[in-house]
Amino acid sequence: MPWLRRLLNTFRPGRVQRDIDREISFHLAERADQLRSEGIGPEEANRRARLQFGNPVVQRERTWDVDIARAVDATMRNTRYAFRTLTRTPGFTVTVVLTLALGIGANTAVFSAIDTVLLRPLSFPDGDRLVELTQVREGSGETRIAPVRLQDWNRLNVTFDGIAGHYVDDIVDTRGELPERFRRAFVTRGFFDVLKVTPAIGRGFVASEHTVAQPIANIISDRRWRRLGADPLIVGRAVKMQYASIITIGVMPADFQFPASDVDMWSADDADAPWAQSRALTWLTGIGRLRQGVTLAQAETDLNRVQTYLASQYPDTDRDVRVRVTPLKDTVVGDSRASLWLLFGSVSVLLLIACTNIAALLLSRAANREQEISVRYSLGGSRRAVVAQLLTEAAVLATSGALVGFLLAVIASRAFRSLAPELPRVNEITVDGRILLYTIASTVIVALLCGLVPALRGARGVRPLRSSAHTSLSQRHLIQWLLVGVQVALSVTLLAGAGLLLRSVEALSRVDFGFDSSHVLTLHVSGTYGWETTDMHVQRINRVIDEVGALPGVESVAVTSTLPGVRDEQQLEFTLAEGRSDSAPRTFAETRVVSPAYFQTLRIPLLTLVNRRFADLYLPDREVIGLHLSGGLDGLVKNGHLFGNPPPSRIVGIVGDARETGADRAPAPTVYTCFSAPTPAPWHLVRTNGDPLAMAETVRRKIHELEPQRSVYDVAPLEGRMGDAYAQNRVRTWLLTLFALTALALVCAGVYGTLSYAVGLRRREVALRLALGALRRSVVHQLTTTSIRIVGTASAIGLVLALVFTQSLSTMLYGVTPTDPATLGGVMLLVVAVALIAAFIPAARATFVQPMRALREE
Amino acid sequence: MSTSRNDILQGTLTLLVLKTLASNKRMHGYAITTHVQRVSADLLRVEEGSLYPALHRMEQQGWLRSEWGLTEKNREARFYSLTGLGRKQLALEEESWARFTEGVGRVLRYV
Repeated sequence: MPWLRRLLNTFRPGRVQRDIDREISFHLAERADQLRSEGIGPEEANRRARLQFGNPVVQRERTWDVDIARAVDATMRNTRYAFRTLTRTPGFTVTVVLTLALGIGANTAVFSAIDTVLLRPLSFPDGDRLVELTQVREGSGETRIAPVRLQDWNRLNVTFDGIAGHYVDDIVDTRGELPERFRRAFVTRGFFDVLKVTPAIGRGFVASEHTVAQPIANIISDRRWRRLGADPLIVGRAVKMQYASIITIGVMPADFQFPASDVDMWSADDADAPWAQSRALTWLTGIGRLRQGVTLAQAETDLNRVQTYLASQYPDTDRDVRVRVTPLKDTVVGDSRASLWLLFGSVSVLLLIACTNIAALLLSRAANREQEISVRYSLGGSRRAVVAQLLTEAAVLATSGALVGFLLAVIASRAFRSLAPELPRVNEITVDGRILLYTIASTVIVALLCGLVPALRGARGVRPLRSSAHTSLSQRHLIQWLLVGVQVALSVTLLAGAGLLLRSVEALSRVDFGFDSSHVLTLHVSGTYGWETTDMHVQRINRVIDEVGALPGVESVAVTSTLPGVRDEQQLEFTLAEGRSDSAPRTFAETRVVSPAYFQTLRIPLLTLVNRRFADLYLPDREVIGLHLSGGLDGLVKNGHLFGNPPPSRIVGIVGDARETGADRAPAPTVYTCFSAPTPAPWHLVRTNGDPLAMAETVRRKIHELEPQRSVYDVAPLEGRMGDAYAQNRVRTWLLTLFALTALALVCAGVYGTLSYAVGLRRREVALRLALGALRRSVVHQLTTTSIRIVGTASAIGLVLALVFTQSLSTMLYGVTPTDPATLGGVMLLVVAVALIAAFIPAARATFVQPMRALREE
Repeated sequence: MSTSRNDILQGTLTLLVLKTLASNKRMHGYAITTHVQRVSADLLRVEEGSLYPALHRMEQQGWLRSEWGLTEKNREARFYSLTGLGRKQLALEEESWARFTEGVGRVLRYV
């Protein structure tokens, strides 16, 4: 393949130059040999040989120029010609370029998100070696780690460069007009070393700052630093805040957002504090940096070996504890992985449909240019030149499409931030060199997909000049219909996926939650552990409940540990004090800690401690009320409020089942514990008579009056929050639906265009039939038979593809199976109907020609 | 350099190379120059500087193919040979050369 070699030569000039040099030096050596044989001295012979040859550098360049100049020249000529022919049909060109721009743009935009969120390591140095450590204990949902245990892991392991922990809490800045709450992370020694990050201003923590003796040292975020006036001299200044004076020793770089993007302050924890010495009080989330070359499995084995040793030392607290090691990236990325790949898959299928569509268009175009191509052959043009010409056209179209598409992708990647703010790492998404490279690669693929078939087809064989397009049509037809078939099949697949997701969304919207989420305002009142006893929390929160509940327009107020209707699970194990038969299943249940008015506020029927499902599942045929449960609340106990073993609590009643863990989860067995201070800042639920947001300001003012030192934050209606919990669902459903409908539109255009072209070629035949008295209806029927057959077959194939595709959706579906016959059948009907309408129009139009005019035309 | 020797007319170099390669299976560039010089009884001399660009251009037209090989003296050289397309081209060029010389001859003979 000489053109390939030449193309490679232009990229590897070194090799060609060396070849030419070798050739020239051979020539000079031969010439010198000859001169020597004529009796001339060797040096003189060399000199004369060179003289006779002329300047070798110039020769070499002239020779080399021949190699690339021709290729460049031909490409330039083809490009110029392609531009000229394309501008002659602006409608066609603009349609194709816009289709490609949307296809490539959407594809590039989704890829930029995939690249950032899934493919790139976390933006820490050697981010792929960072892991999250959690402790696992059977029957307990608790994954956090006691500080001393984390220190033991750090000391005794052989597979980590370092292990550290963090714990996020609220802090309130009361210096302004209103108390301002923000998030603060307490971090253990070595936290920033594990992440390999240093402050942009100031310094990191030193060992002595992790002690009670020293005032708490703090590093603030870039965002907070700017809010405070971006004072470069902030380092070392002490500020009185809440209960203690704190010192700022540094400012983190703007892109540092760990452990969460809303954290604005990092504080050195007190490793020697009395509450940090217990092995039973767990509150740290562990992170670690693996040593070079250590695998996840090795690290996990190593830590479990350490934990086995600790279990022998501290059997009471460490006996059942195991360690799990997960890549930190996985915990950051969460469950957005499946959604992103789904979107990327469907947007790629859409691009494929667009390419197929354009290939069919180019094919018809090439057929119309048969005359021109025949002329080129007759004038001695080579087949290769014609293919190159037609491919250049496709390349020009693809490149123009890609240019516009790339701009669209740049805009879209900005839009991601507002469209999907809950997408992890969304702020890191940028369009950079890698993405540009991806666009270029996809442009090449698109150009080949669109252009190769039409180019090879169009340049096929030499035809006589007076060709009429009627020769060897059937085969070209076949390819065009094949392309239409591919579009139909792929769009059935996309539509099936979109249809199933839409039905899921619809099914979710019809779910009866078991509680009434309207007219409920949710909010937090800031509060932290450490400076108050649990009794003080209870008193304070009860006071807010009473006072806000007394406001006119407020029906009732309650607090809860977990927001209802939003996916958040806390499965814990309970034991029945009265005992159960040994064969009975172990008692796991959702644990929710709520204040007395919770059920009244959410209108869940009757008040008590377990829900109907718990009673039916674990205590069938028993008088449930009056039994005693223990366990379950370990997590609460360990969080440091209720020291000592509480007595088993009495079941006082049964409440109705509610979908507390989200619309797509069946009500789980649940135990409700009545307690006003599950955390220092629980969710407050305020049932209002009217629009909950209208009451927001009144409630806020009331709480400020009661608690001037605390801030009220995260104020929003419950309904909105439950909607937000499924925002990712909705975004991906709407995007997939959009892609699928675009695909349908492309199919419509494809069928219409192909049939118009095919019918156009049979004008004479149609006219003749009509002139001889054929019925319009039977002519239309005859013209559309092929399309009906193709569309039917293709959509059946598409259905098979869809069955494979929708399997991968099964985890995203609710209330509908991946093979739901109604959805799949409906989609097929839709595609077939749309395709038939698209086919009918050109066929019907063809029968309205004036027979005589059409016959006289040629 | 002697002026009595004709430098080869622009455009005829292709013809000479094609013809030379048609009578010899494969030759390197240097051998082509010596062949033309010898066969023309020293009347023609290939300008060596133009030879290699011409060879490369002809290879790209598909008239020649080339490969690296060893000479009898065990030197590495690039050998050229004629392709089918080159043979056709030779026929074309021979014909147009005949027409050209006949035309020029007629003009010269006309008194």
